[in-house]
Amino acid sequence: MIAVLGLVIGVMVGLVVRPVVPSGVEPYLPIAVVAALDAVFGGLRAMLDGIFDDKVFVVSFLSNVVVAALIVFLGDKLGVGSQLSTGVVVVLGIRIFSNAAAIRRHVFRA
Amino acid sequence: MSLLTNVIEHSLDDGYAQAAARRGAVGSSRLPVSLSGRLWLSAGLLLAAVVVTLGAAQTEVSAPAAAKERQKLIDRIRTETSGADTLQKDVDGLRDTVSAEQQAALKQPGGDANALLELLAAATHVQGPGVKLVVDDAEEASQGDSGGPRQSTGFADTGRVRDRDMQRVVNGLWSAGAEAITVNGERLTALSAIRAAGDAILVDNKPLAPPYTVLAIGDGERLSKAFQDSADGRYLGVLRQDYGIRTAISVQDTVRLAAAPSLVVRYAEPVAGQADTSGDGKGSK
Repeated sequence: MIAVLGLVIGVMVGLVVRPVVPSGVEPYLPIAVVAALDAVFGGLRAMLDGIFDDKVFVVSFLSNVVVAALIVFLGDKLGVGSQLSTGVVVVLGIRIFSNAAAIRRHVFRA
Repeated sequence: MSLLTNVIEHSLDDGYAQAAARRGAVGSSRLPVSLSGRLWLSAGLLLAAVVVTLGAAQTEVSAPAAAKERQKLIDRIRTETSGADTLQKDVDGLRDTVSAEQQAALKQPGGDANALLELLAAATHVQGPGVKLVVDDAEEASQGDSGGPRQSTGFADTGRVRDRDMQRVVNGLWSAGAEAITVNGERLTALSAIRAAGDAILVDNKPLAPPYTVLAIGDGERLSKAFQDSADGRYLGVLRQDYGIRTAISVQDTVRLAAAPSLVVRYAEPVAGQADTSGDGKGSK
């Protein structure tokens, strides 16, 4: 119940308050979005696997976002920012896909 | 490929498995039971929701901005294009107006002054009483004999009519009171020149072939008499007597003179507001 509340409040905050994203952070927003989706799908799969851990969920989410942002930041400084962000998106995308496949196996038994 | 395999195999964060092993309860709990666990979960979900929503909102905001900018540019292009079209239409319209005004001004039945101008500018056919003067080379001139009488010129066929002869004839006719003159159908205007090119006589750069027929409008009898009494008429008489140049002058009841090709004046402009005709001929640099 509280978890659903958190989800709803998060969406509300994003929509209503609409915090201004600083222009310096803006390039990392897409990476953060993909990392967040990855964390959510990972958490869901862990829940279905019966190995969910709240701390792991939050910490992995935060660290994924930070590391992805750092990689892209480093790439920007080295002139390969767009390529590195593509790499991050590919890796996280594959993870999202395989996690979604695992969730599907859990839900549909197929 | 091992990298991709690794990514696929470890798609779930290894932390989950390790945490479960630490607890020693794999598959025991699907959701956190304790309050702190629920709070952690909800905090994580809240963060994820904020990030995802922000991303979506950002895209939503920036996409219309880009589209708006594009639309603005397109609008500006359209506006400027239509402005240019309008201006072009203006230009066309004004051009039409100008040409219409010019046509109207040209067609204007300008009364006596205009008709007189056209007449003096040799812009119209004219007719009236006048004289017909035919001047031709001496009979032997075409043979090109070197013993001709006009040795002073240094030319072989001295029996030919020269451009200066025609100049004197025409000049004499003007001074005798001719009002319009053609030479072999070439109407003389204020810009006409009679000159020679080789052996040919040119009027307004058109070569003439002998015999040279000069038609002049004027008071026929008096014009003829005045011309023949003038110095130029006597010069022609001398040419006839001494060099065998054939001339014939006859008074005509009606002669018709063709119009000159239209005159083109490129540089001369009337000076506005200068009605006095002092003609002091001042030049300025």
